[in-house]
Amino acid sequence: MNKTMKTGCWMLAPGITVGTLLLALPPTATAEVSDADFNALKETVQKLSEQVQSLTQTNQIVKQMHEQDLQQLKELQAKLAQTQQTATDAEQKSEAAAQAQAQPMPRVPIDEATVNHNFQMLGDAEFQYANVDHQNGAFLLADFAPIFLYRGGDNILFEAGFDTTIANNAPNSSGYTTTFNLSFAQLDYVMNDYMTLCAGDLLLPLGTYSERGAGWLNKIPDDPLAVDALLPGSGVGAELRGAVPMGDAGKLFNYSVFCVNGPGSADGTGNAGALDLGGNVGVRSDGVTANLHNNPAGGGRLAVFIPFKPRYDLELGVSAAVSEWDNAGSHLWTAGVLDAALHLGPNLEVKGEYIASRFGSDDLGTINQNGWFVQLGYKLAGLNLELPAINNLELVGRYDALRDGLGTTTDQYTIGCVYYVTTALLLEGDYEFINSSDPTQPSNQLILQISYGF
Amino acid sequence: MSALVLLGVAVPLGYAEPPADTSPSNSVAGNPGAPAAGQAAVKKQLTGAELYSIHCNRCHAERYPTERTGAQWKTIMLHMQVRANIPGQQARLILQYLQENSGR
Repeated sequence: MNKTMKTGCWMLAPGITVGTLLLALPPTATAEVSDADFNALKETVQKLSEQVQSLTQTNQIVKQMHEQDLQQLKELQAKLAQTQQTATDAEQKSEAAAQAQAQPMPRVPIDEATVNHNFQMLGDAEFQYANVDHQNGAFLLADFAPIFLYRGGDNILFEAGFDTTIANNAPNSSGYTTTFNLSFAQLDYVMNDYMTLCAGDLLLPLGTYSERGAGWLNKIPDDPLAVDALLPGSGVGAELRGAVPMGDAGKLFNYSVFCVNGPGSADGTGNAGALDLGGNVGVRSDGVTANLHNNPAGGGRLAVFIPFKPRYDLELGVSAAVSEWDNAGSHLWTAGVLDAALHLGPNLEVKGEYIASRFGSDDLGTINQNGWFVQLGYKLAGLNLELPAINNLELVGRYDALRDGLGTTTDQYTIGCVYYVTTALLLEGDYEFINSSDPTQPSNQLILQISYGF
Repeated sequence: MSALVLLGVAVPLGYAEPPADTSPSNSVAGNPGAPAAGQAAVKKQLTGAELYSIHCNRCHAERYPTERTGAQWKTIMLHMQVRANIPGQQARLILQYLQENSGR
């Protein structure tokens, strides 16, 4: 703008000069102007005209420059507006990103492609104090029982469980012995939604206790008498198992069918005392790979599971197994189990099993055995007393009966309680009253146990 | 023995509909594309959370989903599917519930 004003002044200056000269000359002197003066004046006018022309050209150039400047100014203003818009957009994006980071990311299922294999350790550990009548009370490490899981893909799982315990060495010798036993080791192949093939050292589905008897699952420190005495805990072989839904309400039909080596004879004979329910694993002590008798064992379990609503359910099952047991294969061992479990809410559980077994022998003929147990647990949280110490307590009781078929009868009454420090850390205390025809059995004992499931 | 008989009496009781307040987001109930006339006849299917409560409580108290990561639950769930005889579809619903609420 200043340049335009200055240019106008320069254009007016020659005209003002000429006018001033004309006014300055007296009118009477016109006739008296000499040629020299006229020429001088003419020359001056010509110079002034040239100056005016030059200034006009300069003015045009300045006008052009000014227009160019205006154009550049418009372009710069447009760029500035664009830059300001970009900055505004960036600020908005930044705010949106900050808000997104402040909010928790939505949880989505793990991508199948990124987690195809996984190794996992579960299990339980128990530490006990036991005081048996007529004996000194003692602390003992009852069990450390890890379970190792290795998943290979979506439908293959290898699982193995171990039990580690310690015991004093033989009398008059120092130190102690550590035992490290394989509880089970099996390869599971999920064939479809309703059937799984298992192979290896299997927990046998005779009743449910052998598969659900881990320390932190069982609310009483020791096993039911009949389960320990009459049933094999595991067997080496193969199994098909699964469940078929019965409607959409959660009812299931469960099945398990297995074929394992079966029981064996501890000394090869058919004498009743030699029956060995868990020792026939396919490899003999002399290194020979063989079943101890000619034919394998077969068995299975059928069950229905009826949930009334979450935490209210009933499960009923029947299971059986049959096998040769002596090396000559001349005697059969058979076992049958009826099992039931009832849950009425999260606070009340009742479960039990009835077990009957029979086996032939060389020396005592046919031996008929049976036993059963019923276990009740009630969590005091069901009383709604709003007392933390009470809410964490569960009262438990169990009745055991065992008839071994060899003349010994045992009845055992157990009462106790469980304090749940957490859902997986349990403090258990039980007192057992034992009534046995075997005089070597104690009449009562106290067991305290810390149990942790991990 | 009498206790077993008492338990057997409860068999015909059948199943009651689960409470509505235990329905998480992963329900597979119903089919949005099904004809309206047929929807009344379709029974509500159990959710992953309901199946989780039903099956865990059979043997032990329910563990918190946050105790394990999603990948760990996938392995543990395969173990429990075999051990507790859980059908595949139910196991997948339980796994989905556990992973959506897992400790990452």
